[in-house]
Amino acid sequence: MDACRIVLLNLVAVFSCTSALADAVVEGRVELPKSHAAPVVAQRYEIVAHGGVLSTQPPLAVVYLDGSFPKSRSPLTKQVAQKDLAFVPPLLPVQLGTRVEFPNLDDTYHSIFSYSPAKRFDLGRYRPEERPIPSELFDTAGLVTLRCDIHEHMRGLILVLNTPYFVVTSPDGHFRLSGLPSGHYVLKAWINSKTTRQQPVELKSGATAHVDFP
Amino acid sequence: MISLSQTNEASITRFRRKLWAAMVLVVFAITILALYLTQHNATAIAARDLQQNFQTELSGLHKLEEFRQAALGERCRALAEKPRIHAALEDNALDLLYPSAEAELRDLMEVGLSSAEQGAGSLHARFYRFLDSSGAVLFPPNPKDVGELSPAVEAQLTLKQLPETQQIGYIREKTDGVEEIVDEVVAAPIFSTETGNVISALVVGFKPFELGGKKAGAGMKSGIWVNGELHLLSFSKPLRASLDSEIAKAVASSLATQGNFTVAINGAPQLLFYRRLNPDSLFPPAYEVCVYPLVDSMVQLHRLRWQIGGAGMLLLLGGFVASHFVAIRFAIPVQKLALDSEKNRAKRRRAEMALVSTRKKLRRSTRYSADASHQLKSPVTVLRAGLEGLLTRDDFKAEVYEELSALLHQTHRLTGVIEDLLLLARMDAGHLQLESQPVNLSQLIEDWLDDLGALPDSPEVKIEKKFPLDLYVAGEGQYTSLIVQNLLENARKYNRPDGLIRVNARKNGSEIVLTIGNTGPPIARHAQAHIFDRFHRGGTATNISGHGLGLNLARDLARLHGGALYLICSENDWTEFELRLVGSSPAANVPAQDA
Repeated sequence: MDACRIVLLNLVAVFSCTSALADAVVEGRVELPKSHAAPVVAQRYEIVAHGGVLSTQPPLAVVYLDGSFPKSRSPLTKQVAQKDLAFVPPLLPVQLGTRVEFPNLDDTYHSIFSYSPAKRFDLGRYRPEERPIPSELFDTAGLVTLRCDIHEHMRGLILVLNTPYFVVTSPDGHFRLSGLPSGHYVLKAWINSKTTRQQPVELKSGATAHVDFP
Repeated sequence: MISLSQTNEASITRFRRKLWAAMVLVVFAITILALYLTQHNATAIAARDLQQNFQTELSGLHKLEEFRQAALGERCRALAEKPRIHAALEDNALDLLYPSAEAELRDLMEVGLSSAEQGAGSLHARFYRFLDSSGAVLFPPNPKDVGELSPAVEAQLTLKQLPETQQIGYIREKTDGVEEIVDEVVAAPIFSTETGNVISALVVGFKPFELGGKKAGAGMKSGIWVNGELHLLSFSKPLRASLDSEIAKAVASSLATQGNFTVAINGAPQLLFYRRLNPDSLFPPAYEVCVYPLVDSMVQLHRLRWQIGGAGMLLLLGGFVASHFVAIRFAIPVQKLALDSEKNRAKRRRAEMALVSTRKKLRRSTRYSADASHQLKSPVTVLRAGLEGLLTRDDFKAEVYEELSALLHQTHRLTGVIEDLLLLARMDAGHLQLESQPVNLSQLIEDWLDDLGALPDSPEVKIEKKFPLDLYVAGEGQYTSLIVQNLLENARKYNRPDGLIRVNARKNGSEIVLTIGNTGPPIARHAQAHIFDRFHRGGTATNISGHGLGLNLARDLARLHGGALYLICSENDWTEFELRLVGSSPAANVPAQDA
């Protein structure tokens, strides 16, 4: 439930910041890969690897508008918490130049690090009450795999995007991006570490475009 | 008492010697065979015991080594699962691989340990390397931190492919050009957490476990044979080289992962035991080689051999002595047999000589009888002719004629005797041949009974006869008639006045039985046994004519006919003879019988 709440918060944040500039809307549905896991009551998202492909389980996709947009002037800050020996949220899309904080909400040490080409960092071991909260600035676009040196099963993904317009789909694949600038763009859907689909989109102010990713 | 002749004595001695020699040979062969088998057995048992001792000693050490290898393997496996190492490999951050591993493996490496700690810690690594996806070594940016290796040694770490399971290998390292050491290498596969495939391998080098060490049994030395070379520093180079080829041969010839053979090292026999240290490994095969001196066991075996040999010699000696006595014992019956046969031979010789002389005597007497008979026949004939001539004259007085006729009667008797003698002589000489044919015995008896009445000087007797008319016997009529004549004449001659002659004949199976009995004084009991002897007259009154040849002739003729003649009884005024002859049918063509 925490995961869903944070996703919604993010959506609200993106929406509020761009609505003043543009008002085009795109919505649709991404055909998500079938989940093989048996449904559980307490839905909990995690990063899994299948044949070298990292994705969330159950599947989620990130839909974003590709193009060149001006960088945000105000510093952006997001959070990926460690709760119950897992990253929350497991998949976080951020705009280039966003600082991500890694608060430790467990009663144990964590040692978050990443060897991903997009961002190498090593926070070292830290306690829950560590202040300031250890954080990293993500200034290269790409996928960053988060690991914990102490808990080898923990995985998290941060998708660093060079756009302010992105959204995480709902579990059934529906998405809605609003406050978009008008014009010709490419709409992309990141499904997993190896798969990103794209569709051209014509955005008009005040209009709602419908794009599905089959 | 007959004593053994000299030749017999010699041959018995020879027999005894041969028997002894044969027994000695057999005893010798059996003893040698027994010795051989015993020794063979003892040697095999000793070798087995030795190997068992050796194996027991080794297996304790091997257990320790297995524990150590398990501990090393577990450590390597734990290291291979470290998140930083995975992250470096999976997130394509190879430049961070060794620096990340350095932190993780710091406690494993013996860098910075004091020399005492180094010696104690065979669980500490000397070096480590990672292999890339093709099995080649990923070179470390700073070799000092991960254990420096020469390029040649580093090349030995390369595998043809990444291993799916932990591999153990042994590599040779020359540290300062002269002294060489062998490192035990554990290669642990690193599986990707994303794909599950082997993406790399962590190769950690340890000092090998000193198997021999101070704990092992006295004199046992151990080393490692890898890449065709033996690493056993206490042996000289040429010795190692010679052992190398032997081990290579043994390893190549058997598929087993372990084995042993005996080698001579510096002239002393040693048991060399080898065992594959890394079966099914991707690294080159390495063998643990233990050399165990056999001197003690050889000395024991030598002593055992001497003991067995000594026992065998004693046994042999006992066997020889026993065979000597047995030969003597066995020769005794043979000696007795020889003595007996000597006696028998002497007896036979005597009997033969007696037989020869008897035969000569018999022949002489036969010839004499025949000659005498022939010589006598002519004068008797002349005498009888003279007397008959005188009787034809009529110018003599009456008493002269009486005298002449008595004399003529005597010449007839003389002729009878001469003929009987001649017949007997022919029978004795074996010249009498019978022409056997059916003879009517009934008719023969009737004829002779008729003639009985014509005999002169005989008492008047009554005759009883009882026989069928057609009794035929096989024989020659002339001689059969002679037998019957003799018997009937005797019955008439030795009868008393008013006596009785009883003649019975019957057929009894294939025989014809004729009994002739007569009254009269019986034959004296002591004379009965001799009545069939030649010239015996039964002690009867001398006034009865006869010459003592009749019964003898009758019996011999009866025997010649295949029959017999017996005296049945002679007592209480009754004497009875029984004649048995072979029966025949009237027309039967009886084959001729030779005497």
